[in-house]
Amino acid sequence: MSRSILITGANGALGLAIAEFFLAREDSCRVFLGVRERRDKAEGLAARFPGRAALIALEVTCPDAWKAAVAEIETQGAPLSVLVNNAGFHEDALLANMAQDQWSRVLDANLNAVFHGCQAALPAMMRQRQGRIVNIASLSAISSPAGQTNYSAAKAGVIGLTQSLAKESARMGITVNAVCPGYIEGGLPPEWTQEHLKALKMQLPMRRFARPEEIAAAVFFLASPDASYITGSTLKIDGGLL
Amino acid sequence: MPTRQRLKELMISELMLDMTADEIGDDTPLFGPAGVGLDSVDALQLVVMIEKHFGFKMADQDQAKRILHSVNTIAEAVDQKATA
Repeated sequence: MSRSILITGANGALGLAIAEFFLAREDSCRVFLGVRERRDKAEGLAARFPGRAALIALEVTCPDAWKAAVAEIETQGAPLSVLVNNAGFHEDALLANMAQDQWSRVLDANLNAVFHGCQAALPAMMRQRQGRIVNIASLSAISSPAGQTNYSAAKAGVIGLTQSLAKESARMGITVNAVCPGYIEGGLPPEWTQEHLKALKMQLPMRRFARPEEIAAAVFFLASPDASYITGSTLKIDGGLL
Repeated sequence: MPTRQRLKELMISELMLDMTADEIGDDTPLFGPAGVGLDSVDALQLVVMIEKHFGFKMADQDQAKRILHSVNTIAEAVDQKATA
């Protein structure tokens, strides 16, 4: 059966890799690439998969935008079956110096957006009595590094939301899981120097960063029929760092 | 199939209840330990199930609370809507 997959933050390295993984491994699926202003890379991917991948404008912090996106997906084909809440960003500062809006922006984009997305996606999944939600959390939710009180709290919140919603939706055939990626190639702050990256790799048991497709593979598995008894789980994918 | 029997069979399959239709009394409270033992998650599913299979949409939470009391109260609401 054809599935509609919605991936937010689809112009970023991880979002693109997840989208491409679905498109390459599941011939019948249709992938919707949730984007905001930056859309050049998502457009490139959609052009490579005509008729199977489409961009969808989605401001993830806006509940009405979510409703419109889910409705649009329904009009274009199969109802939404898989939601990957991938959009997010961090804006680091020590708590003592953190502005109120730095806190709020990060909580809005990383935690409140997941709430809005799940709430928008659930009715369609409940009607189908099946669905897969995969929330992209972060290793920061577990390791809570200094300078990331906002981001760590938001991502830890995502794990809590995931576990609670999993209990609420289990009997409806809907699974809700989270993954916690570590450092990902292409997802690191551009201001980090080569020396810094080199030193960082030395601290990693595998001495390399994750390739985006290594995270995408786990997301794809959690969204597959093979993962039907896995719900409320958090999968750490960090090359053994923690 | 009579509405009450259909409701019971739907409840058993959709709420994944490990019981038979005969074990659910028409007047047995659906929620709480003294009754069938459904919980708040089941309530949400019941609302969706009734809308999907009988085309009956709950107006608000108060109405849902009244109607979802037992198989009888649901059947009455559903049948009333069908004849309205």
